Amino acid sequence: MVVERTEGRKDEKTARRTVEVDEQRDDPPVAVPSDPIGRVVATERLPASPHQFHFWTEVETPIGIGAIVRVEGKARTVYAVVVDAKAYSDLADPLHEVRVAAGIPGGHVAPTHRTEIRLWTAAVLRQVPEEPLQPVPLAEVFLASEQDVQVALRMESYVQVAEPTGIPIGLYATGGVSAPVYLDANFLLGPESAHLNISGVSGLATKTSAVEFLLKSVFTHFPSSKGRIAAVCFNVKGPDLCFLDRPADLTREDLEMYARLDIEPTPFDNVHYFAPFKADGININTLRSHADLVGSVQPLVWGLREVLDYHEVLLNRDDLDAKAAAFIDFLTDRVVEKEFRDEWGTTHRVRTFSELERLFRAIFDGLEASGRGDTWRTHHIATIRKIRNRLLNISTRCKGLVTDDGASEDLPFGTFEDRSIYVIDVAGMDQLAQDLVFTRVVSKLREHLERRDLGVDHVIVFADELNKYAPGDGPDTYVRKMLLDISERGRYLGLVLFGAQQFRSQVHRRVVGNASTTMFGRMDMDELATPGYQVLSQATKIKLATLPKGELMLRHPHFTQPVFLRFPRPPVLTGPAGVAAYPPATDVPFDEAVMRQLVALDRRVSPNAVAEIIADRREEDVRRALLATRRARPDDVLAYFRTALGPRVSHATIAPAAAGTTPLRSVEDPYAR
Amino acid sequence: MTSAVMGETVVEARRRLREALLEAGGVVGDGKSAAAASPPLQTPFGIAEPVEGREVSAVAVGAPLQESRDAAFADGIQRYMVEGRIGVTPIIRAYVGAAVLDRRDRGLLPAKHEAEEFIVAPLERLTDATVARLHETGLPVHDCGVAEREHPILDVQLAVQQIEQRRRRAEVSVVAAFRREFPDAWIVVDGSLRAYDEEARESRLLGVIKSHETQFLAGVDLETALTLPEAHRTTVFRRVGGRENTIHSWYLRLWDWVEQDILFGLVRVERQRGPQVLDEIEEVCSWLLAERSPMSTPDTRWDRLLYPIHEVENYLKARAGSWW
Repeated sequence: MVVERTEGRKDEKTARRTVEVDEQRDDPPVAVPSDPIGRVVATERLPASPHQFHFWTEVETPIGIGAIVRVEGKARTVYAVVVDAKAYSDLADPLHEVRVAAGIPGGHVAPTHRTEIRLWTAAVLRQVPEEPLQPVPLAEVFLASEQDVQVALRMESYVQVAEPTGIPIGLYATGGVSAPVYLDANFLLGPESAHLNISGVSGLATKTSAVEFLLKSVFTHFPSSKGRIAAVCFNVKGPDLCFLDRPADLTREDLEMYARLDIEPTPFDNVHYFAPFKADGININTLRSHADLVGSVQPLVWGLREVLDYHEVLLNRDDLDAKAAAFIDFLTDRVVEKEFRDEWGTTHRVRTFSELERLFRAIFDGLEASGRGDTWRTHHIATIRKIRNRLLNISTRCKGLVTDDGASEDLPFGTFEDRSIYVIDVAGMDQLAQDLVFTRVVSKLREHLERRDLGVDHVIVFADELNKYAPGDGPDTYVRKMLLDISERGRYLGLVLFGAQQFRSQVHRRVVGNASTTMFGRMDMDELATPGYQVLSQATKIKLATLPKGELMLRHPHFTQPVFLRFPRPPVLTGPAGVAAYPPATDVPFDEAVMRQLVALDRRVSPNAVAEIIADRREEDVRRALLATRRARPDDVLAYFRTALGPRVSHATIAPAAAGTTPLRSVEDPYAR
Repeated sequence: MTSAVMGETVVEARRRLREALLEAGGVVGDGKSAAAASPPLQTPFGIAEPVEGREVSAVAVGAPLQESRDAAFADGIQRYMVEGRIGVTPIIRAYVGAAVLDRRDRGLLPAKHEAEEFIVAPLERLTDATVARLHETGLPVHDCGVAEREHPILDVQLAVQQIEQRRRRAEVSVVAAFRREFPDAWIVVDGSLRAYDEEARESRLLGVIKSHETQFLAGVDLETALTLPEAHRTTVFRRVGGRENTIHSWYLRLWDWVEQDILFGLVRVERQRGPQVLDEIEEVCSWLLAERSPMSTPDTRWDRLLYPIHEVENYLKARAGSWW
């Protein structure tokens, strides 16, 4: 007699497993069910290979797609992840079921359950020993323990070492077993490989949440021996990244996950916000405009020099022919911020768009007055007019970011702080301005990292909507070229791109292809049908299409197969929650905005005193003084502001010119003849 | 020998048997199953007398039982190969297995299993040295007796009878073992209860016969039985003769046989005599009618083969593996 059945055996087994699972919930170092959950089967048509095998389990089993299992052979242990599953019975033809049920579903319940099978397909993650590589043994299958997960994902090589470089990314959790999953900092942030790409449908907050959590994890676990690190995040839509310094209301489950991953569930304590002004030049263009928060948002204001340096971004390919480029180069090299004397005796010092406009007017007037044809210093007047129109149009389209008067306020390149985040809110900006901000900031980061004078050694650049900035098709924009450059060469500099998009297939393949770590949240089925996902099984695709919030699929160089994991909600307020807690302020009149901004700098500032100082002053003068005060952040804000604004000039009535006096040709140039 | 030690051992035993045959001056066969022609019906006719009423008549059975009845199901399998011959004398390697599957809450689980692998041959025709050499293979050696003279087919048929006997013995053994543990359980066995002694044929043992090799009725009674409409049974009759005297039986039509063969969907049920036979016959028939589902397709006998019995067969085949 070979088989004995004792009554209740199955129930006892199930009960034992249940007890273990319950214990795991309260006591994280888990006890793993030691009983096998399945057995490898192999036939000629379904053979076990070195990379894939099949096994069966009971109908009721704790595993599912994404579960990690261990096969114990005599001299070989194999770790694998479940990628597909089938269930079938010995029913020969569906019509047979119809016949016995007399065509009425539920009308007849068969006295015996048909024999059925749960047949699973697993992709090999690792074999021990790794050589010689052999087919998976036809042996018992066990649910992977926490230790097994570490070995299966080769994490012991960078977690259980003297100088660990593991960055927790979430918890693998299946069948009551949970195990932290770590990324290797050397492969996430360089130098071995770098960059992270995350895809997922919009609206579930998975992409942003995952990146926020990962940044927290990086700041917590990035080894200080590898240098200083900071992050620059572009807030491209809504209030997504506007509340990184505000704590979230986390659940007990979230807190337990943070504890397992050894991360403090606290918001970022060193966040710097930057946003341009609105068109009025005084109200900050951000949803972080609540009175309690707006003081921590610094304006982002650029002048002519900053724009001209990145004119390729602003001028489209049709605009930027060789003649136009030559003229811009002329302006940049010979005119801007230099003494420039034109042919008509006027000396220009161009620092602002206003001064540039004055130069253009002088050229046009001079050419017209002198009748010297249509060329000025080898540049055709049509080229000059085109560039004038394009450049001056920028100050209109990017109003709020680009100032006419030359004063600029920028990120603190050179004094970046370790484990700090610099959020640039471009959500409310024109696309052109967004491109300009993105390009210039990243280029400046690159320049400083090359010179090793940024203040940190590594910078993570987080950009959402990569399909917009680096599309797979469409014109070859300057922004895309720069993103390609970061993707392909950034890791040598310490410049790491964390990119996100809804549809990975629509992003340039070299940008996503160079991301060593890839995460997928819930995916759209149409997207999953594109060729880039052919390597995934249909079951994995279905799981991806139905992933709940807080779960994602991860690929990393150390993992030979994608792994599903859970991550806690980020420890910061989400955009919608932040807006609910800190409703954005409505735009206020000019005087009021100036008062609020000065009060935000120094609470001792009296609103009445400010009102008195700025009464009857030109708005551009007040703006300039306010910017100077912001930049200087003096001890005595009001005094500094008053000084920066300068003395009030009293009105004087000028008598009409006497007859016979030659009037000045231009009020802007009183010495012109 | 149980099936658990099959695999390498079987291959080795087979090799040793073939060596023994060759050493004994015999020849080795092609290893394929013997193409033993189905023998003529051994007992085509039996005797019966009515128990329920004075003549056999058709009785409508109620609706199929709606709930699943916890019960056990038993069956056996046999396989054999003519491994070779000494002269014309066949040397046969055989395998028999029997099992009981226990059904609880609609689920079938193996409860008892026995299997045996052995050699069968007409030992009288072999020299002592050859018999000794067969024993050295490690497999049990059984004698199948001899016919009046050597016959290449008849000798095999005799061996098959021996194999069938051992298979039945295994079936009786697993049923008895199960009964010892679960004295009150219903047990349905595939085939007649004739192999079970009277003590073993206690009240909750049902035999379901689907072959109809032996016909106990004749004339109008037989026609009534073989033309039963769907969900009808015959009245109960008693087998007459020797050990079968205490076995009561009736026919039951599981499926409509219109446009089918007359035996389509027809089973004969056996149960040890006693007042419970008639007291519970409606309930038992209703239960067996419910066992039409699930169908045991793709087995060609699906119209008469109860699914749990089919599953016992599948279980035994799986345990035997690719026996050859």
